[in-house]
Amino acid sequence: MEVKPTGQSKAGDWKNFQRVLLPPVKDLHKLEVYEAEGGYQTFRDALSTAKWTPPAVTEEVQQSVLRGRGGAGFPCGLKWTFMPPVDENVPRFLCCNADESEPGTFKDRQLMEYNPHLVFEGILLACYAMSIKTAYIYVRGEFADWITHMEAELEKVYAKGYVGQNILGSEFSTEIVIHKGAGAYICGEESSLMDSLEGKRAYPRVKPPFPAQKGIWGYPTTINNVETLACVPLILRYGGEWFSQIGAERHPGPVLYGISGHVNRPGVYEYPTGMLITDLIEQVAGGMRNGKKLKAVVPGGSSTPILTAAMIDGVTMDAETLRDAGSMMGTGGMLIMDEDTDIVAWLRRVTHFYHHESCGQCTPCREGTGWLENIVSRIEEGEGNIRDLDLLVDLCSQMEGRTVCALADAAAWPVRYTIERFREEFEARCRPSLVPGAEVMETVE
Amino acid sequence: MAKITIDKTIFEFEGDQPSLLQFCLDREIELPHFCYHPAMSAPANCRQCLVEIGNPERDRETGQIMVDEEGNEVIRFFPKLMTSCSENISDGLVVRTQRSSDLVRRAQKDNLEFLLINHPLDCPICDQAGHCPLQNQAYKYGPEGSRFEFRKVSKPKHIRLGPRVVLDAERCINCTRCTRFTSEISKSHQLTIVERSVKNYPMTPPGIEFDEPYSMNVIDICPVGALTSEDFRFKARVWEMSSTPSITTTNAKGSNCYYWVKDNRVLKITPRTNMNVNEFWLADDDRLDYERFNDDRPPGPTVDGEASSWEDGYARAAHILGNVDGNRIAFLGSAHASVEDNYLLARLAEKLGTAAPMYIEHVEVGSGDDWLRTDDRAPNASGCARLGFTVADADLFGPRLKGGEIDVLYVLEDDPVSTGLCTSDDLHGVSVILHHYNESNQTLPLATVSLPAATVVETVGTFVNIDGHAQRVRPAKAIRGVNRTLAMEIGRSRADQHGTPFDRWYNEENLINCQPGWVSVPGVANALGLDMPTTNPKAIMAELASTNSAFEGATYSAMGEYGIRLSEIGETV
Repeated sequence: MEVKPTGQSKAGDWKNFQRVLLPPVKDLHKLEVYEAEGGYQTFRDALSTAKWTPPAVTEEVQQSVLRGRGGAGFPCGLKWTFMPPVDENVPRFLCCNADESEPGTFKDRQLMEYNPHLVFEGILLACYAMSIKTAYIYVRGEFADWITHMEAELEKVYAKGYVGQNILGSEFSTEIVIHKGAGAYICGEESSLMDSLEGKRAYPRVKPPFPAQKGIWGYPTTINNVETLACVPLILRYGGEWFSQIGAERHPGPVLYGISGHVNRPGVYEYPTGMLITDLIEQVAGGMRNGKKLKAVVPGGSSTPILTAAMIDGVTMDAETLRDAGSMMGTGGMLIMDEDTDIVAWLRRVTHFYHHESCGQCTPCREGTGWLENIVSRIEEGEGNIRDLDLLVDLCSQMEGRTVCALADAAAWPVRYTIERFREEFEARCRPSLVPGAEVMETVE
Repeated sequence: MAKITIDKTIFEFEGDQPSLLQFCLDREIELPHFCYHPAMSAPANCRQCLVEIGNPERDRETGQIMVDEEGNEVIRFFPKLMTSCSENISDGLVVRTQRSSDLVRRAQKDNLEFLLINHPLDCPICDQAGHCPLQNQAYKYGPEGSRFEFRKVSKPKHIRLGPRVVLDAERCINCTRCTRFTSEISKSHQLTIVERSVKNYPMTPPGIEFDEPYSMNVIDICPVGALTSEDFRFKARVWEMSSTPSITTTNAKGSNCYYWVKDNRVLKITPRTNMNVNEFWLADDDRLDYERFNDDRPPGPTVDGEASSWEDGYARAAHILGNVDGNRIAFLGSAHASVEDNYLLARLAEKLGTAAPMYIEHVEVGSGDDWLRTDDRAPNASGCARLGFTVADADLFGPRLKGGEIDVLYVLEDDPVSTGLCTSDDLHGVSVILHHYNESNQTLPLATVSLPAATVVETVGTFVNIDGHAQRVRPAKAIRGVNRTLAMEIGRSRADQHGTPFDRWYNEENLINCQPGWVSVPGVANALGLDMPTTNPKAIMAELASTNSAFEGATYSAMGEYGIRLSEIGETV
């Protein structure tokens, strides 16, 4: 079924939206403030109320239609059901993926800084739902300050007895370990994240087996994004029904939009899903800087296909609508570019990033990302040739879907769609194709 | 029975199966690949073995396989191409390889284009050229040219990873076979991939040398010329050498190998797959044990330290043996010599009325491991034991010699002095008849008659390894003089039948004047007037296989390329 952009915001009365992920409470990152705001009460209830059996928690999350906020948008509750039945002899793990490193994405950092206990509570509830005794938080290595910050808060949570053995006198025990990441973009890919966590070089694994079958150290593992887990306590507190009513129908919930680029007020904003892109730019982020005209929007982190100003009319921020509009929701990290932006230079920077961050495991990605950067750089320097554009698109086809993980796709999409949607600008930079031997084109005086 | 369709051909199978790639390779369906190795995990990182894979579509309600109007099964293909090395086989699977699918052909070509853009293409100076999987598969499946117009990535070259392995990182295609070898097979963990993206290459961790005793295996499994042998680099091109399947003789494991020969000199030794003995691997000391075949070889037979002819040598030996009482002769067999040679020696001793030969044990405790290197540093102790030979005890043997109990010591292809069985003083007044391989043999200066012996690369024979596995050796290089059996066998054994045009294996200069034991022992016997026809080793082994239960069934045809497992000796004793 095709959903045409309706031009209608799906976010409802978003102007009066009460923030829940990052509520406007001073010092919320402190345990006492968080508790005073009703924090950890949901977790206490889950442990003490007969109604909240582990399957019931999973069921509630499934009902909420919570979709992963890490980029792929996979239904969270469904992912939890993939875990095999509990076997006391087989360890199982939860991993909170806080290796946020997609260019244009900076939302998890805000959660870790301003509301870390919501994340901890979400982890505890997820562990409870899946009977997991060890949870890791894999934090991007460059986030050194946030690691210190979270570790200090985690100590308090341990002291309070929310984590550890026989939590709050119940049968349930779990440990939370904060792991400092190994400093590569690829570590954010879930299977290489597991390798990295095990102390190995982060190389994505071949799937299947999926993490739920064979994850960390070969044991069942569930990996969720920070923001996804932060939604879990809210779902249990206010009900899955409440959550599923927020924003777009098939991609509901509050979401953190990370808006960057040529707008007056860049930043992270919490609003329901299904916001009109135009609303986000004009109303939320304060409009284009210096009154310039909008040129392009990258809606969900640098790997998602770029949208031209003409394409965003009536497009809302949810997976289905964006897919139909020719892009993806990704992480919700929006890059806004004004009319003065050199799109070729932008693409050069993006290809450089993926070239630099390719782990080098699979041939098409290892070789292809470098080649893409070579060609785009040449075009940017004015040395390119018209036929380079076709070669670039050809190389994208040679990379997409041919590698172990999705990094090759992530590297190829920006190139493919930027050329497709801004071809004139690229052509203007290129030298015209010459017939071999016919290079004497200059006017002789 | 379960079935799988590959390119419209139906294959039936039962039970557990290897990956799809191995399944195809086993049936001689070639799929290009680099990172996959049957002994190691499949990381699917080279992305070369892509195929189209589909399953019959089933009706969601009934579970029945759906059929189209013509009665054919409806196949649903995966939207993506899949790597066959990581794909398991299931009933009903439909596979399209490059033989039937343009999509697959295109994808494989694309992938090879990628592999070659940063590869230096220095094939003319690369040791791997000629037997390089990248070269071969690029010719077969690759693009005609390249669209890459940029400077290739430069990476470190000629890095000494360890004492025996040299890395050229630019040639590396990051298949990770070498790092997986050290982490999964040898478990030394001495190699890892460093750097990211196109810059990555295998390297040792800081402060660690790649010096494990199996390090050179990574040279063979490297699908390009990135890892080369410090010892062999730039010595010869692969097409200039002839290769002969045989076994190595540095220890009692009898690992299967190929001897690579050029101009009648052995230049390198590489492993030969035998799943019953060494699987795919070969220890480094086995590989580097070739110089003794080329150098330090005797110029010819000697009598009283003077060069002589073979006839004079045999006559003098016969003269010595014929003029003493049988009880005053001691025969030493050899764990370095073949079963055939030792058997003939035993026959000679029997005819002279002497006790059965003994043999010297070459055990160096602690020199082996639990894999391909044994403490026993000789290849055929097991064969000697099966012939009923006992181990010569240094505590008894030396004093007997010294005490004048022995007048003649007959040594077959061994060195009692350097092994400590006796001292050179003990041998004063004793006539020594010695078959020897090398000039550095310390018993040689004391020998009355010395008869140079053909080494394992020059003879035909049988060796029994520590596990009772009987295997044949084949002549890889020629000896001086004409021997019909060897001449026929050398042509029959070589992979290229007659030697390459670059390999002058009859080259006079490098021919060694020696004889296999199964020629020289009967030579002595015949000079003595004893009835021992010079037969060929095949007939000797056939005789042993039918008369001696310890060698039951060990005929040449039964042993073939890979040898046979003999029954335990204990069962017959």
